[in-house]
Amino acid sequence: MNITRPARCLLCSFTRAAAPSTRVPRRQFHPSPATLSNRKPKFPNIKAQDYKPYSEEQKVALAKEYSEAQMAAVEAGEAAIDPKDLAEQMNERNDPMSFKYIDDFSVIEPGVDRHQRAPESNSDYNFKLKSEDDFVKDFGQFIAEMPDNATGADFVRWADNLRVTHGKEESELAPHSALVPDLFGPGETIDEPRVEERKSAAEKGEKERSAEAEEMTDALKSLLLATGYTESQVKGLRTKTLVSHSVTNQTRLGKVRRAYRLSIAGNGNGLLGIGEAKSDEASDAKIQSQYRAIRNMQPIPRYENRTIYGDVKGKVGATELQLMHRPPGFGLRVQYLIYEMCRAAGIHDLSARVGRSRNQMNTVKAAYEALMTQRNPEQVAHALGRKIVDVRKVYYAGKI
Amino acid sequence: MSLVNLSAVCAHLNNATKARLALTSIPNSNLHLKLSLALQNSGYISSVARGGPTPPPAHSILGYPAVNDEVEGIEPITRDNVASRRLWLGLKYWQNESVLGKIKMVSKPTRRINIDVEGLRRVVRGEESGFVAGIRSPGESLYLSTDRGILEARECVEKKLDYDLKYVRTHGCA
Repeated sequence: MNITRPARCLLCSFTRAAAPSTRVPRRQFHPSPATLSNRKPKFPNIKAQDYKPYSEEQKVALAKEYSEAQMAAVEAGEAAIDPKDLAEQMNERNDPMSFKYIDDFSVIEPGVDRHQRAPESNSDYNFKLKSEDDFVKDFGQFIAEMPDNATGADFVRWADNLRVTHGKEESELAPHSALVPDLFGPGETIDEPRVEERKSAAEKGEKERSAEAEEMTDALKSLLLATGYTESQVKGLRTKTLVSHSVTNQTRLGKVRRAYRLSIAGNGNGLLGIGEAKSDEASDAKIQSQYRAIRNMQPIPRYENRTIYGDVKGKVGATELQLMHRPPGFGLRVQYLIYEMCRAAGIHDLSARVGRSRNQMNTVKAAYEALMTQRNPEQVAHALGRKIVDVRKVYYAGKI
Repeated sequence: MSLVNLSAVCAHLNNATKARLALTSIPNSNLHLKLSLALQNSGYISSVARGGPTPPPAHSILGYPAVNDEVEGIEPITRDNVASRRLWLGLKYWQNESVLGKIKMVSKPTRRINIDVEGLRRVVRGEESGFVAGIRSPGESLYLSTDRGILEARECVEKKLDYDLKYVRTHGCA
């Protein structure tokens, strides 16, 4: 006898052994967590003999709760449904035409399911206009069914509901219309308090803006107008001037020197833009380029909000660079220009290789171009017509 | 089996997608047919049909030549016409970009590359192995010639096929 196994294990062997295989039977490529192999089923397997008709006692108990008509309906229902059929319906299907996956079909998935079309119009193409005799008959019926103390309102109600055609009722009463349906039903409005909230918020914004406007430059005003940001939001953006040098224009009067600045702007959460400006004054060029960068901000696709989708390449002039996605915690092992761009855009794991020319201006432009050429896996899946699953999400059960 | 013809096919497909063609033809051979079917199976091309020097008639509903066309039918191969057969491939585009993207050879006529399943496993994970760069972008695939026909790299790893001869790599990226 093995010493490491105590004696009570002998008794244990009569009890149910743990499943010999791993608890997760197979890696499953969908984001829902895997079920355990030796888990008890949620619902017991239902068989036909489990469905028994109500006994007399049960019926007496039911009769206390339900009316006679309801009891009749219960009995009729019991007689109509075959228990064998009911057992089949309640169980998982195992016939050859059954589905290979579990789904309750409560959601229409655009890629998989047939499109949900607009409902068919309720037009009736076989309607017929009522003849004079029909109207006389309708009026006769109204007179015959008229209550004893009839008022004018009864006649108006009858006249309103009087139909002019034979055929489908909805075709006449709710005909097809090319007009867009109303946003609100009759009597519906947006909640009053919310209207006031919004109004006060708008007023507040105006007040803020008017107070700010006294000190603002024209350039900032037009920037706020174009982007819709407030001044505090613009201050919260990450802007940085990356490239600065002077440029000259050779005229017959001599060389005209101007300052060149290239800036980036981002919100640290997926937005990034670059802007460049030239001016006689360096500070002018800087501000102008920063405002242009803010105007040019565009969303950058980010994988898990930390790195990029796939490896991408960019080329501007002789500068060719490659950006490579990296695992979490890798950091930004890139040169300083791309580092600043990643900081502004909110990318945390990346490596890059800049080949051939390393011109600063072209490096920034090429990196921006590369970031914008990322391909979204969902779009790739659509293009290929195949399902693509993020295995990282499956492995971590959608927790990342 | 020379890879020269296959290289020519890759170059031709790149040219055809740049020219935004909907239908193009490549020389008929068993290797080309297998690769075309593998590409079609992955969704990179829409149709594969064998035809003559002129494109086979389009399917009345699908709009491109199809093998299962009951109305027009596919001309059977005979001893007389086998030399003039070509494979007609339907190319796909999505959002103004070619689905096939860029296709290029990894093995070259002057340098064949063999890879075992261990190395292939690393390649599929995105690491470099030997002379083969990893598959690191969405929509990127690698096709290999194996003793079970032309298969995608991930499929080879799944089936644990060993000692493969590498052929073609398609890039979704521009």
